[in-house]
Amino acid sequence: MDFNLPAEDDPRRVEVRRWFEENPNPSYKQIAEKGYAVPHWPAPWGLSADPETQLIIEEEIERAGIIHPTTINPIAVNQCGQSLLTYGTDELRQRFLPPGLACEEKWTMLFSEPSGGSDLGALRTQARRDGDDYIINGSKIWNSLAHKAQVGVILVRTDPAAPKHHGLSMFIFEMSTPGVEVRPILDMTGHEPEYNEVFLTDVRVPASQLLGAEGQGWRIVLEQLQTERMSMANPGAVWGFGPTAHELVSGLIATGKIKDPLYRDEAASLYAEGELLRLLSARNLSKRINGTPPGLEANLGKMVASPHGQRLSALAKRTEGVAGMVRGNPELPLPEMDYGMFDSWDYSYWFAPAATLGVGTQEVLKNTISERVLGLPRDIDPTAKTPFNEISRPQLKAAS
Amino acid sequence: MDFTLGEEHLALQDSARNFLSKEVKLEPYLRPETNEKPVERDGLWPAIQAMGWPGLVVPEAYGGLGMTLLDLTMIVTELGRSLAPSAFFGNIAGTWAVERCGTEEQKQALLSQVAAGELTLALAVADPNGDVNGLSAGARATGSGDQWKLNGKKSFVVEAGSADKIVVVADVDGQQGFFVVDAKAPGVKLERLDWRDITREVNAVTLTDVAAERLPQSDADSWAWIRDRLYLVLAAESVGGAEQSMTDTVAYANERIAFGRPIGAYQSIKHNLAELAGGIELAGAGVQYAAWALDENRPDARKAAAIAQSYASEQYCAMTFRSIQVFGAIGFTWEMRNHLYYKRARTNAELLGSPRDQREQLICLLEAEHQAAA
Repeated sequence: MDFNLPAEDDPRRVEVRRWFEENPNPSYKQIAEKGYAVPHWPAPWGLSADPETQLIIEEEIERAGIIHPTTINPIAVNQCGQSLLTYGTDELRQRFLPPGLACEEKWTMLFSEPSGGSDLGALRTQARRDGDDYIINGSKIWNSLAHKAQVGVILVRTDPAAPKHHGLSMFIFEMSTPGVEVRPILDMTGHEPEYNEVFLTDVRVPASQLLGAEGQGWRIVLEQLQTERMSMANPGAVWGFGPTAHELVSGLIATGKIKDPLYRDEAASLYAEGELLRLLSARNLSKRINGTPPGLEANLGKMVASPHGQRLSALAKRTEGVAGMVRGNPELPLPEMDYGMFDSWDYSYWFAPAATLGVGTQEVLKNTISERVLGLPRDIDPTAKTPFNEISRPQLKAAS
Repeated sequence: MDFTLGEEHLALQDSARNFLSKEVKLEPYLRPETNEKPVERDGLWPAIQAMGWPGLVVPEAYGGLGMTLLDLTMIVTELGRSLAPSAFFGNIAGTWAVERCGTEEQKQALLSQVAAGELTLALAVADPNGDVNGLSAGARATGSGDQWKLNGKKSFVVEAGSADKIVVVADVDGQQGFFVVDAKAPGVKLERLDWRDITREVNAVTLTDVAAERLPQSDADSWAWIRDRLYLVLAAESVGGAEQSMTDTVAYANERIAFGRPIGAYQSIKHNLAELAGGIELAGAGVQYAAWALDENRPDARKAAAIAQSYASEQYCAMTFRSIQVFGAIGFTWEMRNHLYYKRARTNAELLGSPRDQREQLICLLEAEHQAAA
């Protein structure tokens, strides 16, 4: 047991720091070519780095004042890139990974649909085989970065006669393919749109761009969501990002509001929980260092972290009173720091309702935890075993 | 860095769990007459002494095993899981008081006997109002050198009835002093409180001209030093108890049928338990870190102890409340053990000050840090 982070004079750290000193302001291409974008991947993409070295590299990127590639192009560097590495052909990797990891091509994830997000397995977008291609028709929603993306990773139904989870497949393709239409969604924060709807009309994708085998889509998705949730167990205001209870307490002290006995106790409570979330992340990291897969515990972290962030930004907002109801008004002071996308209490607060919706709703997450961690009975899905194209309204009605 | 438990920790935990699952008998506490009449102590404490646990964290120089607080939490978690009714908590409180405040000779004399299982200690710190932070000691010491007399009343003394000697915190000319008295000495009167958690014995102690030996090495930080370790012990107990309560509750939810399905299949049950599983996981991480931070004498150790105790005790309360709800009315009966856990949880959360008190300590430390940085 040792909670110390790798020291300043750790030779691995010294080496990484020297590279950033010799290459000031490197391009993302240089960072990727050096293997620092995905250090845990094997060569030529990464360095097969152990998680501790990975942590060092992340810290040194931050220290050099560079926004991490994961923040710039998360779908490529984090969730879906990994799937391409595991399930893609060599030709596909050569085509998509270099520009993706170099952040030259942005990626977007096309999973959720208007008819359902929690019940992702019920998605309706279809890909029909046509010679050497598949032809995709349908629509997707809540696709972050789709309006800036050159590459899409899409989950579609290839076998409507199979039960819902068995008939899905995953493709990677160019967003410039004819028939792809992207429409940004103005969300309730009123900020510049983060999310989009994507309509697909007779979009022709070569069969060679299938990830894994036909029907393997669901399995790949589950692996991706696991990675994503793990990165969300940090104690920031929204999905682990943005200001934390540290900054909340600083702001309350700076304004003297910490003297209010109710704010005081609530802030202390949030501070305590935030520290524990950090420890949980560190423990998950540590498990990876020791070669134990973090498994389902990562879900526990996300389940606590999302409402934690909501309470955090809510307390910040409440201390601002009526003045905080005006957009752009000066608010509870935040220490100067790079907070990424969630760079103010105001945005964090108005964004907060989404924190328990994105990447699986809180309710689905609690189902997963109670079933797979605690061993309670599975929820009933009356449609799980029926061939997808035989699921009918009468059947749903009878089951309800 | 390595945040995972080593083989030796897991082995320690396993052996403690095996030992306690054989030795701890809660059945006598679930008989209706125990509402009126305390359960006589069985051979558990002597068996624990024979295992060497009282000497676990006593330094080797005084005949102990000199193990770490992290090692200790492995065992304390199991004590909490089993609700082991024993003098362990009271004794370790007294032991730390001697370690922190005693002279070399006193430590040689007292700690070696504790480690050998020949002496049981207790610590009397709270005044009759439950104040543990020294605003009022409740007892006064008069005298000098090796001639001291104690007068006054202490309360909420854990396991004073099992103790051979009691360490008493008393006021000496406005300062906090630590004194050792013989539990059987003339002028010492114990009164067993009708403490809600019947798996612990808790006493009030009246002192009338009691001859006492001073532990002279105490200073302004002594109580906080002891308290942080006791926070850790209570928090570790709470994590073990909460885990057991979860295990019992999940087992029941899988077994009990209503409306044609196990009640654990319903989301109103599942989701509540999932949330608690998250809280218990965090509480466990907090205990682990606090133990390490205290072992390593880290600058944030005091914060870590306050965080661990406030968070773990509240999670334990929440878990044991939910457990009774999931069991339904049967969980509200004396014969089920749910209430023993529920009561241990609440009393653990109040024994050394409330979770809010620990959060106040935390926020004061943060304010001081900000002031120092400014």
